[in-house]
Amino acid sequence: MNRNMKNRLFYISIGLAVTICSLILLFLFGIIIWNGLPAISLDFLTNSSTNFGADGGIVYQIFGSILLILFAALICLPIALGTAIYKSEYLKNEILHKILNTLIYSLNGIPSIIFGIFGLIFFVNLLNMGISWIVGSIILSIMILPTVTLSTYQAINSIPTVYRESSSALGLNKWQVIVQVLLPQGFHGAVTGLLIGIARAIGETAPIMFIATAFSGVELPSSFLEPVSTLPTHILALAQQATNPVALQNAWGASLVLVMLVIIFSISALFIRLRHQSISKS
Amino acid sequence: MLGSTNNIGKYYVYGSTLISAFIVFLIFSILLVNSWEAVTTIGLDLFNLNWNPATREFGIWSMLFGTLVVTFIALLIAVPLGVATAIFTSEILPSTYRIVVKSLLELLAGIPSIIFGLIGIAFFSIWIQNIFDLQSGRTILTAGILLSIMILPTIITLTDDAFNNIPSKYRETAKGLGLYKYEIIKEVLLPIAKPDLKGAILLAFGRALGETMAVMLVIGSIDKIPDPIYNWLSPGQTITSKLGREIAETSFGSVHFSAMIFMGLLLFIIVLILTIISQNSLKSNGRLYE
Repeated sequence: MNRNMKNRLFYISIGLAVTICSLILLFLFGIIIWNGLPAISLDFLTNSSTNFGADGGIVYQIFGSILLILFAALICLPIALGTAIYKSEYLKNEILHKILNTLIYSLNGIPSIIFGIFGLIFFVNLLNMGISWIVGSIILSIMILPTVTLSTYQAINSIPTVYRESSSALGLNKWQVIVQVLLPQGFHGAVTGLLIGIARAIGETAPIMFIATAFSGVELPSSFLEPVSTLPTHILALAQQATNPVALQNAWGASLVLVMLVIIFSISALFIRLRHQSISKS
Repeated sequence: MLGSTNNIGKYYVYGSTLISAFIVFLIFSILLVNSWEAVTTIGLDLFNLNWNPATREFGIWSMLFGTLVVTFIALLIAVPLGVATAIFTSEILPSTYRIVVKSLLELLAGIPSIIFGLIGIAFFSIWIQNIFDLQSGRTILTAGILLSIMILPTIITLTDDAFNNIPSKYRETAKGLGLYKYEIIKEVLLPIAKPDLKGAILLAFGRALGETMAVMLVIGSIDKIPDPIYNWLSPGQTITSKLGREIAETSFGSVHFSAMIFMGLLLFIIVLILTIISQNSLKSNGRLYE
């Protein structure tokens, strides 16, 4: 086989792979939209579910998902901010830096079901909090902690040293420099990280399915220690009764809503990142 | 006053860093303590073939086997497909379209795994059932194919980054020597990108091992090693699907529960090792790959 032939064969195989990947992408989005759109109506979005989710809408599921990620973000933000500031401004030791990095990457790599088991043992059983949505929020906040920390760290760390030096020369102590100079400049990193983290957390099923959610009959929680119902666990419950066509249609509707939520959060993160990039360039 | 806020600030950042660093150890020790009972009472019988809580047999071997086979199938499909697509996006596609491809990949990576599970139940398992004329389409192969689609974005993005980070002078020099595109990629670019590629595959490996929801819905959940061993068209079980299906029905503190946690610990350790190795071989620092 001569060189030209080999080159052509190479192009053909690359083209084949790209076609397959594009078809997969098209197929996935096609069926999510195709199956989801007929299920979505105003009634579906504003009614509560009945008959174990097989009938009715998903308003409490949407509420539950938003509640979980909102509190996850609130719990995560202060810890991530502190860790990022420490990593960027206080930590000078090379070895400690490496260890902290490894720990953050490890936390990011832990499979989501392990978080669920950890939550089940530690919060639900040892701390005796029962199956409650706040446990779900805590676990999700741990899951998104690495993302938020590193995103904030990059934003703060990329601020030029001259800012720190000028403000110290004006007589600001270290904490004042951080709060008044570095945080206003770097806070967008935390917001971007939070949005990316939320986009990932809102679709997670495995970590919350045995610690924070109940499958049906749940409305608004009246305290911190009650289960909620969320979109992913609702889809899971419906997917397991796949023989019932109405339930399956509701599952597709809930899937489309979930994907839309994920896309909204991802796109807002992208916009904030792009806006700050263009500002720092001009 | 000024000094005290300075100190409070310092304690705050120290404290939050300690919390962040402590969590990994906390998770590890919780898993270790809770699997201890299984290790002491069952011991090496944990690696037996049979899992039957009624007769107090807790052999995790079939779950371990299922996990490895499913991941193997996923990598077998996703690595060639992903690397070839990444070569296209970084070496052949004009760079103005690159942002479009990247955004599409992020979208694909953002689809929650439960939705992949739903798609698997509604389409893939039925296709497999019809093509191979089976009683049920929920098999090890179905789970592997579904998983391969889920790790595809990870492999494409990381490989694309690896190729894109190579300075263009290598390509220009090679082209100046009269090499074909195929030869440039094979002889020049691939060897340079190799460490990053290794990192990408290891990371995808770790992701695939820990994937739960999609696998749990389509694998069939039967604790058996297929007979014969390469018959991937039979139902199986992975560590994650076993945990997802059974842990909520297990009473806390029993040997059964402890044996389940032992599987979780094993998964935790394997994935942790893979993550650390892959983060070390990925040269570009400071980014998280999900």
